[in-house]
Amino acid sequence: MAKAKANTELCKGCRLCVRACPRHAIIPLELVNKNGYEIIEIDQELCIGCGMCYKTCPDNVFTVE
Amino acid sequence: MPVYKTPKSIIAPSGCCGGCGHGIIQRLIAESIEELGLQDQVIACVDIACSEWSLDCLDYDHIAGPHGRIASVATGIKKVRPDKTVYALAGDGSSYVIGWTETTYAAVRDIPITMIVVNNGIFGMTGGQMNLATTLIGDKTVSSKAGRRRETMGHPVDMLQAIKTFDVEFAARGALYDTKHIDETKRFIKKGFENQRDNKGFSIIEVLSPCPTNWKLDPVDAMEKIKNENEKVFPVGVYTDRGGNK
Ligand SMILES: Cc1ncc(C[n+]2csc(CCOP(=O)(O)OP(=O)(O)O)c2C)c(N)n1
Ligand code: SF4
Ligand code: SF4
Ligand code: SF4
Repeated sequence: MAKAKANTELCKGCRLCVRACPRHAIIPLELVNKNGYEIIEIDQELCIGCGMCYKTCPDNVFTVE
Repeated sequence: MPVYKTPKSIIAPSGCCGGCGHGIIQRLIAESIEELGLQDQVIACVDIACSEWSLDCLDYDHIAGPHGRIASVATGIKKVRPDKTVYALAGDGSSYVIGWTETTYAAVRDIPITMIVVNNGIFGMTGGQMNLATTLIGDKTVSSKAGRRRETMGHPVDMLQAIKTFDVEFAARGALYDTKHIDETKRFIKKGFENQRDNKGFSIIEVLSPCPTNWKLDPVDAMEKIKNENEKVFPVGVYTDRGGNK
């Protein structure tokens, strides 16, 4: 099954993907990237590869394949 | 399962704030252009404002015109390079206030360009001033601190209702607050590029887009505001579609 991958160096901490994921597979973290934004993590067990995160993210963090 | 990958034309991160709709719109433009195989013949015209962030981000020939004049810049380019895919990307301050004349006459002349207007309800780059066309009644901005009042500041106007009377090829409004609306907005933008490829006439796509920074809202709450408030005043959908019958 396709799964989402995240390049969190591009993340700007907006959490729109957290809101969009139908499986609640995207976990908001307090961990920051080198730009100082709080990033996210994907629970690969829950992910169904639907691509909603890709469509929602303004900063091209996600690839689903 | 389809594969979702960032379009090849996106070559650098944009300078937009977190949660800004401009980033999603840039991606929809790039996806539409690549799906139509037009990426080697694009001249992008971006307005001076937050649309300008796409200059570094998208791998197309670009020109940034003076603020508000982008529909005229794109008109000139399309006249001299009719073989090129020319799009104009601009804010609502540019397109509907300072540059309403330019937008209007590109529409009246039915120039076969694709114009994308980012309706974020304010002047974004300069710090969030009230937009006479798009700021909702009651919305607080740096130039309507107690909220916009109809009596002294007028009321928002749906410019697509005006533009559709100019006999243009296509006018539509999309939104970005959920994936259903993002998909719909993509269909509108892609249609705008298809119309240009087929030399059909002026296509304009307005997008209800959040500016969390100047709205002083969390990005998720900014999307909710669009769904609950802005879309009520500015309904999404197709305003006119001539279907190539000039
Ligand atoms: C002729 C001219 N007038 C004013 C400005 C200042 N200015 C730059 S960006 C901007 C506001 C842009 O708002 P909008 O077009 O809505 O785009 P946004 O930043 O919200 O995407 C203004 C007034 C300018 N650069 N040039
Ligand atoms: S692909 Fe779908 S299920 Fe997986 S993280 Fe993205 S939105 Fe969630
Ligand atoms: S939508 Fe993109 S930028 Fe926003 S939190 Fe999720 S991964 Fe980060
Ligand atoms: S100021 Fe507003 S429109 Fe400009 S990049 Fe930031 S969020 Fe986007």
